[in-house]
Amino acid sequence: MTQPLLEVQDLHTVFRTKDGVVKAVDGVSFELTPGETLGIVGESGCGKSVTALSIMRLQRPGRIVSGKVMFKGQDLTRLTESEMREIRGKEIAMIFQDPMTSLNPVFNVGWQVGEPTRLHNGWGAKRALASAVSMLGRVGIPSAAARAEDYPHQFSGGMRQRAMIAMGLTMTPEVLIADEPTTALDVTIQAQILDLLRHVNREFGTATILITHNLGVVAGMCQRVIVMYAGRVVESGPTPDVFAHPKHPYTWSLLRSIPRLDAEKHEPLRPIEGVPPNLIDLPSGCVFHPRCAFRIDRCTRDVPALLQINDTQHAACWVTQAGGELKGA
Amino acid sequence: MIGPSRVAELDMPAVGIETGAARPAQSYWNESWERLRANRFGMAAGALILVLALIALLAPVFSLITNVQPQSINLDETFVRPGLRHLLGTDELGRDTLTRLIWGARVSLGVAFLTVAMSLTVGSTVGMVSGFYGGWIDDVLMRFVDVVLSIPAIFLFILMSLLLRPNAITLAAIVASVGWGSVARLVRGEVLSVKQRDFILATRSIGARDMRLMLRHLLPNVLPVLIVAASLGVGQIILIESALDFLGLGIQPPTPSWGNMLTNSQSYFFRSGFLVAFPGITIFITVLASNLFGNAVRDAFDPRLKS
Repeated sequence: MTQPLLEVQDLHTVFRTKDGVVKAVDGVSFELTPGETLGIVGESGCGKSVTALSIMRLQRPGRIVSGKVMFKGQDLTRLTESEMREIRGKEIAMIFQDPMTSLNPVFNVGWQVGEPTRLHNGWGAKRALASAVSMLGRVGIPSAAARAEDYPHQFSGGMRQRAMIAMGLTMTPEVLIADEPTTALDVTIQAQILDLLRHVNREFGTATILITHNLGVVAGMCQRVIVMYAGRVVESGPTPDVFAHPKHPYTWSLLRSIPRLDAEKHEPLRPIEGVPPNLIDLPSGCVFHPRCAFRIDRCTRDVPALLQINDTQHAACWVTQAGGELKGA
Repeated sequence: MIGPSRVAELDMPAVGIETGAARPAQSYWNESWERLRANRFGMAAGALILVLALIALLAPVFSLITNVQPQSINLDETFVRPGLRHLLGTDELGRDTLTRLIWGARVSLGVAFLTVAMSLTVGSTVGMVSGFYGGWIDDVLMRFVDVVLSIPAIFLFILMSLLLRPNAITLAAIVASVGWGSVARLVRGEVLSVKQRDFILATRSIGARDMRLMLRHLLPNVLPVLIVAASLGVGQIILIESALDFLGLGIQPPTPSWGNMLTNSQSYFFRSGFLVAFPGITIFITVLASNLFGNAVRDAFDPRLKS
């Protein structure tokens, strides 16, 4: 296996609230190899976005209490704020869920897309604009030079997300974190943006972390996937293996809750019973046990670690770690 | 790949007025300016203030032409009624009322603009820092603002006028020492709402430092409320300044200001009503114009009033 580009090790991020400490990210570990697309899936509020923001050290008001984020031999959690600013936008870029609010309404699009070159290269207005126009062209904005003078409200949602991607890629970062980049867009535009991300991944060789709750997106985009639940990684592995033979009951339930075109018989869709746990007061043992169909006694007592199940997959589940199968129920 | 996004664009509401052949880049500022220009009353009021400011600036030229100084006394021509020689008459010392009003505009408008500039600078800095950083910084700064705003202004003005013996600049500083508080609150509120928006996080994610975030990315978003506060503030401050002058706490005679002209004339009210009427009407018209213009600016620029 190639040397990982980005390695998250046992990351813990907490938010202090009036009601108690919210463990938004509770011991997450994963690695990203150069050029790959890694999916992070899970329900809303399971810590996907906070994990991404923690990598960028933008998790405020949350606090990273322990763990490491190794990137090119340095631990990002230990860098000073000014060292971290050098990483942001230059080596690791991020695009956000809602392109409607991710652009500043008072500046034209070209100015904003050029901002990273002004910040990191100290480029003047002309040069920054020229690079912005060329990037806008490369992400598929037609007549980019003219559209660069437009303001965000003159762009459609899909075009704004393209502009965000252009801004993210301006400095040709090695890692692109896309936090639900298509959730706020309608379906035809979603497909275009995903095409663009795939194209970017190939053309620029940018390793991509794709955060989504859409399993279809993961299936189409990601070589590997990690599944998060209540701030923890419950399963990880190559996408085809995880989708064909999930080794964690949560993944198994997620897959059963979405419609599939290739379903063999007319199986009804099964929603996952219950709601995600309260992150202030987590259940004992395995965090998923209250909703789990395969629960055994041990699950309510002991917390399972993320362990290797077979050649490619890891899961944090007492049942599958003991050689159990996830079937029926 | 190109087609559908072009189509999707049509769903956007056309915000600008022009949807003609060439599609002009309709920035927020262009749009607001168009809206302001469409408001006849507002534009007329704005023009009036501009004219008054010009007249105030050109007061020395005016005196040069007429060869009448605001302080020049002519005891042969006291209490002259308005006429050709003295368009607005003269006072008890034979000083020309029109000349004094023109020179008074320098003081009244000068103090008003200076006060607004000072209040906005201090207030927006404090409000920006307070809203941006939040936490204990916000607590300390905003409690301080609470303190400033709970001091009875008029007593503070009286005290400071006694200590400082005001000229135009110190008078502006005195009024601004209270005025910045409400600006700070206004800006803080606006910053709190703008900084929640994703583009601030997105700008952080490309490596912008706090200073750049505040000055380059946040400030332009706060500017509309500042513009509105400034244009509504002018009229208010002219009133405050006139009141202080009237009480003898502002600009001291013989330097003419609209306020101290009123003070002076109240002793001679029965000899010549004009002496009261002209400064009074001038103040009234100026404040009215400021408020009308301020309202027009608010209608045009305030993002919250946009439908």
